[in-house]
Amino acid sequence: MSAENKPLPIIEVLNLRKKYGNIKALNGISFSIGKGEIVGFLGPNGAGKSTTLKILSGLIPADSGEAKVCDVDLAEEEGEVRNHIGYLAENNPLPEDLRVIEYLKFRGLLKGLQGSRLRERTKVVLEICDLERKISERKIGNLSKGFRQRVGIADSLLTEPRLVILDEPTIGLDPQQSAITRKMMERLRGEVSFLLSSHILSEVEACCDRMIILSHGQIVAEGTLFDLQERFVNKTVFEIVALGNKINLQKKVRNIDSSCELLLDDPVETTGKRRYIFATKNGESVAERIVKVLVEDAKLRIFEFQITRPDLETIFLRATKENWDKSDQEQRNKIKKGHRK
Amino acid sequence: MRQYCIILKYELFSLFISPATYVATFYFLSLLAIGFRFFIESFVYTDWILPPLSSLTVGLIFGAPALIPFITMRSFAEERRLGTLETLFSTPISNVIIVIGKWSASYLFFILISIMSFGFPLIMTILFPEQGQNLGFNQREHWIGNALFLSIFGASFTSIGVFASSLTKNQMVAGMLTFTLLTLYISFMAFSFGKNTDKSENNLGNILYHSFNSIINGLNKLEHFSVGLIDISTILHQLALTLFFLAITSIQINRIYR
Repeated sequence: MSAENKPLPIIEVLNLRKKYGNIKALNGISFSIGKGEIVGFLGPNGAGKSTTLKILSGLIPADSGEAKVCDVDLAEEEGEVRNHIGYLAENNPLPEDLRVIEYLKFRGLLKGLQGSRLRERTKVVLEICDLERKISERKIGNLSKGFRQRVGIADSLLTEPRLVILDEPTIGLDPQQSAITRKMMERLRGEVSFLLSSHILSEVEACCDRMIILSHGQIVAEGTLFDLQERFVNKTVFEIVALGNKINLQKKVRNIDSSCELLLDDPVETTGKRRYIFATKNGESVAERIVKVLVEDAKLRIFEFQITRPDLETIFLRATKENWDKSDQEQRNKIKKGHRK
Repeated sequence: MRQYCIILKYELFSLFISPATYVATFYFLSLLAIGFRFFIESFVYTDWILPPLSSLTVGLIFGAPALIPFITMRSFAEERRLGTLETLFSTPISNVIIVIGKWSASYLFFILISIMSFGFPLIMTILFPEQGQNLGFNQREHWIGNALFLSIFGASFTSIGVFASSLTKNQMVAGMLTFTLLTLYISFMAFSFGKNTDKSENNLGNILYHSFNSIINGLNKLEHFSVGLIDISTILHQLALTLFFLAITSIQINRIYR
């Protein structure tokens, strides 16, 4: 996205830090999110995703750094930000005894809606989240996980917020329910900015305009999927589904192109076949030459071949690996120092 | 104020839909009614020096450790267990309003039970006006004094319950903690009953000592309240105790979530 086309920022974060005791949850992160953007927040467990989302929602204060959300400076008016955003907490806690409609009315009242506006907004969010009629009259405690998640999302959309922060919105949902959540975000694309954290990479890949990858409280990668593909796997990636000896296959590939690197090797269900993902610096023609040679080999059986782009999982593993190695080394150095003392 | 009313309404609704509240209220009122009946029957043979109406107040005060936990244990413990307190904090509402709203609901429920229990002498006076008059149930100042005494002690008792509920995620633990704290407090009051506090010097230390003693010796003042003599210092001391527990509840909630 060029500088002129870049949307106005709805979130601006500069050098944000947070510590829990001796543990650095956030180690000086900086990023910005534009109006109407859908941004995915990725990272392994304990990377600092939920901490960042809680700080941006005004739930907990940061130790240092600057953060502006919807033009509200969090350092000065931490509570004020809650008037402008919708927030879905991790695990989506909900009261069991209330009916969906009662809960949404209660939340709407707390958020300052009343009268006809409250009725109108409740109706709209029930429709957006597909919770109309019978479901809205049911007790939350009797709802399935998918419906509960939709109730949480409906609550976050009640006040027509400019920004919605969703902490793991699709965790534990079946593919159908996840697709409904994605559809809901697609419907609001452009009108509302979404910042969502998730472990389901295919989901983030499918619905986010941009991704921010966090590891050990630091941002290790940021950009569109294309940007990340260019940065982390700037090679031609090809996929082969084959039946045969892995070492033999790798040897044959290396004979043709010594720079060819095996990125992933996965079994294909219970068929005995394996899916190999290779990356080469030498372009598509070399990849095609490799497959021609492999097809002619009687000991190997090739079932599929395609030239692809690296998926988010490959990028995620590459981006976080570097950071993991670095912090592992730091940890070892600390232990060594401790032993010397 | 609007947000306070929303929280209060929601909490009252939660109390009214909880079966535990109904069971506790039913058993408590039944036992109180039986106790009151036997007391009225045997009143002439006892050396009870207070007006007979105050027997209900004493019953409610000494029964509070069994009743209050059922009213207050849900308030924060259940929200902490479900995690809904975090969702509550994601709205533009301060934790002070949440604490006061939850406490007010518990307090109003306690007042409601007290009103129901005062229905016993009222019904008796309507059905048997002569006996009612003999027992002093027609004395308006007795009703006002006892009601006031109960309402100020109810405020501090429920604030202790709400505080205990903020300490744990388990309703049962919160209930047991409330029971223990209230039993200790009432035991102190019972053991200090009849002791006079010296108020000879007016320095700060003596005033604080006197205030503490007055909180501990709260039951002594029932003698005055039960005949309609209102002791302002007792009201202020119980109010201070209520505010103290509500303040530490607010700090505790703040400590956990912010």
